[in-house]
Amino acid sequence: MSTNGTEMVKDAIYQACLNLDEKKWDDWLNQCDDKFQYSVTAFSPEIGKDMKYLGLNHNELKEYFGLLPKHNTDHSPLRRHATVYSVDVDDNGKTAEAVTSFLITQEMFDGVNAPLDTGENHLFVVGKYHDKFNIDNGQAVFTKREARIHTRRLDKGSHWVF
Amino acid sequence: MPARNQEQWEKKPDLKLGEWVDSRIYSDEEIFEDELRNIWKKAWIPLMHESELPEPFDFRTAIIAREPVIVVRGPDNKIRAFLNVCPHRGMAVDRRPAGSFLTGEPSGNAKHMTCMFHGWQFDMNGNCVEIPRENAGYQGRVTKEGQGLRRLRCETKYGGIVWVCLDDKVDCDVEGWTGGCLDCIKDSLDEEPLEIFHYHKAIIDCNYKLWHDTNSEFYHDYMHYHNRITGFDDGYFARKCAAFDNGHVNVGTFTVNYGEYEVADDRGDLTFPHLPPNNWYMVDMFPGVNINLRGSAVRMDLMTPLSANKVMIEFRGLGLKSDTQETRERRIHHHNTIWGPFGRNLHEDLVGIAGQGVTMMPNSEPRRILQGRHEGLYIHDEVGMRHFYETWGKWMDRLPSDPSKKYEPGLVVGPEMPPAKGISSFPGKVAAE
Ligand code: FES
Ligand SMILES: [Fe+2]
Repeated sequence: MSTNGTEMVKDAIYQACLNLDEKKWDDWLNQCDDKFQYSVTAFSPEIGKDMKYLGLNHNELKEYFGLLPKHNTDHSPLRRHATVYSVDVDDNGKTAEAVTSFLITQEMFDGVNAPLDTGENHLFVVGKYHDKFNIDNGQAVFTKREARIHTRRLDKGSHWVF
Repeated sequence: MPARNQEQWEKKPDLKLGEWVDSRIYSDEEIFEDELRNIWKKAWIPLMHESELPEPFDFRTAIIAREPVIVVRGPDNKIRAFLNVCPHRGMAVDRRPAGSFLTGEPSGNAKHMTCMFHGWQFDMNGNCVEIPRENAGYQGRVTKEGQGLRRLRCETKYGGIVWVCLDDKVDCDVEGWTGGCLDCIKDSLDEEPLEIFHYHKAIIDCNYKLWHDTNSEFYHDYMHYHNRITGFDDGYFARKCAAFDNGHVNVGTFTVNYGEYEVADDRGDLTFPHLPPNNWYMVDMFPGVNINLRGSAVRMDLMTPLSANKVMIEFRGLGLKSDTQETRERRIHHHNTIWGPFGRNLHEDLVGIAGQGVTMMPNSEPRRILQGRHEGLYIHDEVGMRHFYETWGKWMDRLPSDPSKKYEPGLVVGPEMPPAKGISSFPGKVAAE
């Protein structure tokens, strides 16, 4: 475990990626503060507006994850490739902000025609995580994540949070 | 009945004409081309909302039946539509989805639409105002006066929706086109200006009508967790379908006490003007539009058919222009809960039609698709689809249950019956929980 704030933040972001890739929703929520706020946002040049596609607090997110198995959603897993671009730890070392670029790929499982498409990967979403953290006890804890995406075409399979 | 052999499987169903369709209407490329020509080019299409081009000189582009369209707001604030086709050598006059002509193109002037290719320029009325070295090249044979853009009929109507029709000869205006299907929400849409807050799209490998069917039949609510668990009460089954001229249908709450039919939630105070609290109307307009007013937000889906088995669906969400920031955020939250890309229903609907697309690829073998439920026109009655395909048959001069034959009337309206009683359990509920 790192003692350096910047490294703690990077560890937290990459661990979150692993958790989300593996759909370990509870493990990801455990990385987040009780007051955690999550959102997916995008700017649409088509309509000239900043948009919010999803906005949930910690409890709502927990509820959302609880409902996932009850939905008939697409089975194709989403996975991300992320690179932490910047980390700013405040002077007293208690809070931090980070910007992480990510690409999300979809591994086709429920294909358009499953026997044909299954096994193929394609790019699904492009965006940046804008994260905020509390740093405490040698750990960076998420207090806010805005997944700001550059994708307005969201085909079937969009129900898994980014 | 046990699984059927080939002959049994291919047999026509023991239903009336009009209670089923042939899957070739969803997969045949020749039929698709006929649809573009006979239907999409003759319908009024609600392309966008006027708040997508809020300022003079703003523009937005779109497609109807493969024809590129540009919609612009003039200095007089009037919205006009043109074919987005340069009369010179056919480049798109503008190639962006949206923008402003207040700034000029590198090869043209501000406040003009400039075709960047050879610099022909047009004003916001579509007049040609510049042909570089006009006389030197054309010696009066081609002049600005004769080279305006192709203007299209365009009306801004029903809460600021921008409607465009490609065919000048269509003998109705937008109001006539709706046939009254929007009357149920007209006052709510028109009381004060609306503003768009949501846009996203999906492109699905299936015929556009499959999305329209999904919007018009509610029997598929079994697919949706929320509806499965909380939705099927008396009030739900009291919603009724109504059919209108030109193939339009709406579904809404007509007979129940509005206060009781849906558990009051915190959106009551954000309900649109003139709408009983938490009330809900869904309007399915021929040939591929859905306008849905559910308490605090409007959803509008527009289908753009791309080929027999490909459709672009654009999803818009609208609130009131006068919203405070806090009010707007609550509306967005309500909208997203159901209709956003992470909402509880939309993703399942997309998975449903993608699965239909798999079985109805072009040249796949014809099958029978049933639309024969009769429930006294209440919500699970499939009259919406039957009405749509009756109109479709007329416009196409094809029989929906055998599109190689000519149209003959076959609309079936089932017997009167009372609404179903709410149900507390159904097969699958336990498994789902
Ligand atoms: S194609 Fe438009 S100016 Fe030549
Ligand atoms: Fe649905």
